[in-house]
Amino acid sequence: MERIITRFVTALRQRGIRVSPGESIDAVHALALGGVEGREAVRALLRLTLVKNANDLPAYEEVFDRFFSNSQPIPQGLVAADLLSAMIHIVEGEQLKADIPDKHGDDGPTLTVDEEVGAEDLKDLLGLEESDDDGGGPEIQVQLDGYRGKIEAPKPSDYYMQGPPTVAFHQQGDQKTVPFTAEELADMQEVVSRMIVRLRKDVRRMKEKQNRGKLHVIRTIQKNYRHDMVPFLLSLRRKLREKPRLVVLCDVSFSVSHASRFMLLLLHTLHNRLMDVRSFIFNKELAEITELLRNMPVNALLETIDRGEIVNLDDNSDFGNVFLIFKKKHLENMRGKPAVIILGDGRNNYHEANDWALEEIREKAGYMLWLTPEERDTWSRGDCLMELYGSYCDRVEVVRDVNELSLMVEDLFRNLCTDQPRRLARDLLKARAEEPLDYRDYYTRGGSGQPPALDPQGRSHW
Amino acid sequence: MITEQEVKDLLGSGGYIADEAIATAVFLAIRMEKPILIEGPPGVGKTGLAKTLSQVLDFPLVRLQCYEGIDEGKALYDWEYGKQLLYTQLLRTQLDSYLSVSADLREAVERLSAEESLFFSMNFLVQRPILRSFLSEKRSLLLIDEIDRSGDEFEALLLECLSDFQVSIPELGVIEARAKPLVILTSNGTRMISDALRRRCLFLYIGYPEFDREVAIVCARFPELCETLARQMVEFLRKARDLNLRKPPSVSETLDWAQVLSILHATRLTPEVVANTVGAIAKHQADMQQMTELAQRELM
Repeated sequence: MERIITRFVTALRQRGIRVSPGESIDAVHALALGGVEGREAVRALLRLTLVKNANDLPAYEEVFDRFFSNSQPIPQGLVAADLLSAMIHIVEGEQLKADIPDKHGDDGPTLTVDEEVGAEDLKDLLGLEESDDDGGGPEIQVQLDGYRGKIEAPKPSDYYMQGPPTVAFHQQGDQKTVPFTAEELADMQEVVSRMIVRLRKDVRRMKEKQNRGKLHVIRTIQKNYRHDMVPFLLSLRRKLREKPRLVVLCDVSFSVSHASRFMLLLLHTLHNRLMDVRSFIFNKELAEITELLRNMPVNALLETIDRGEIVNLDDNSDFGNVFLIFKKKHLENMRGKPAVIILGDGRNNYHEANDWALEEIREKAGYMLWLTPEERDTWSRGDCLMELYGSYCDRVEVVRDVNELSLMVEDLFRNLCTDQPRRLARDLLKARAEEPLDYRDYYTRGGSGQPPALDPQGRSHW
Repeated sequence: MITEQEVKDLLGSGGYIADEAIATAVFLAIRMEKPILIEGPPGVGKTGLAKTLSQVLDFPLVRLQCYEGIDEGKALYDWEYGKQLLYTQLLRTQLDSYLSVSADLREAVERLSAEESLFFSMNFLVQRPILRSFLSEKRSLLLIDEIDRSGDEFEALLLECLSDFQVSIPELGVIEARAKPLVILTSNGTRMISDALRRRCLFLYIGYPEFDREVAIVCARFPELCETLARQMVEFLRKARDLNLRKPPSVSETLDWAQVLSILHATRLTPEVVANTVGAIAKHQADMQQMTELAQRELM
């Protein structure tokens, strides 16, 4: 029984569910107690002991069904040739019909093959090499190519479980649908967690200060009646301060997708830890994702967004429309005076500007910050309405990369949570001001960064 | 020795219709002496399970409602400073005579510190819910409600209590539970509970019940309601849950509504009945409108 559980736990881990050794011991103990009969009860029992996160439940059900399915056990002592022929059978569309050993009982099989196991799974078994010259080769080859295009360094769990259809056909040039790679995710997580550590210190200091108000004389006396008015228990006047509220509108159209990805991750991590955040994403339509951020793993959410299931990604972004929808649907039930952050490039694709809606939002908001990836000198070019929209905001900031974005957001949080001056933004501005001003990049400063090509006639580029 | 089926029947006798997962969880919690962490949307019967259990198992219920800023002084124990002070005041004369025997100050201090334990004893300890349930002679049921409202620090505080069923008090040492209580933690999932706490618990997710179970719940609570109406109600509410409402109706709303309908002696659902009683199932104005529209569509 222990071996079965161990293998089951391994299968769960391969699917990405974190199961600790202690939990598998629990499961074995629980099974040993007896009193549990029937498939459903065992399913419930293992679920209770092994899965500790509601997000993992669907994956667990899937693994359970697969693992304890009507699998056809393969006798022990397999040889590679058998496996290969089995693989060829599968590839050629025949079903594997292995003999079922009747004496082995529960502990017998160490390897199960059923209809759902695809050819690529067999590749992993017993260190089998992919065979590219004999039967069944071509199809496997195709699928492997699929993996290579999709992910640089696939984790075992990725290529073990992913069904062929989603993996096999990878479209070139469709870069934006690739979710975060593991390294990218880890990098961002690190940036965010460092930021949180920094912030948390300030928030704690703020809270301590909050509790250190003046003495509330009357309440102190009341509290110490039974101590003969000896003031054992002090009651201090609290400086009341509400949990800061934040509303974030994130453009997810192609032009700013990278920045908004990071923003979403940031929100996901910050959510409910330090403040009350309501998050929206928009392209042409607007959708609230506060609940989704709370309940879904971030990669799954990003994939859902990229598939266009939340807002249609085929449209061009339409800020005017979005502000109008936001005003109609959500402005009424915005509590307090939240800080509003808008992330987008302000390129309205020549739709109606509806800046009056933005003005009304501004009136309800305590603070409005617009983050744009574009440099100032392009703000009024083409369909960009940044100048117009920017005039309603308290602040418009250019964020060129992930680091600047995180500094900007940290700054805002600090501003909202504490009375600290904006330390980092100041540093950032100072650093920018100290950038050596080179006369040669006069034309390009703040632009593309490319020096102008030298005039062929030898004139100075002044 | 209790079995899983018995747990199910026992819960049923208390009016709680449990499914396989719930019954298994309770069975394991009793047998393995492990806490259960229950997550799920509000109103699906998380707290109700604990209440019913305490009733049918005859374990006294000790409830700890969590809130932001809860600490050990509110959850575990506290020293009763006032009482300590009062006692020193009252015992002053005794103390004087006791200490007057000593030759010098040093000896007096030694004599006094020898009696220190008098003032840090169980007499002066205020037992808060967790300690109270540990110290109860009879096996109790400790309900830690809405753990997600408390902070990370409080979660860390619970770790020792939940894994070893003991409380460390610096002045008194480690106090172990007399009878290990059955612990139930509930969470609405507004905040992620740390993995350390999850590992120490059995994890039970209670979602909205399946059709048959929900009908059975309604019928068990309100036997006077005819079953066709109950089925109609549940069917309607299940559709309403798919509507993308701000507050989807939960089991507690189902029961509220069943009560309303049984008071009104309704026999079947019509759009008018729904429109008149929608206040029992919708908690926002926009939701009300959506549900009345649904009734118009579905029940005509």
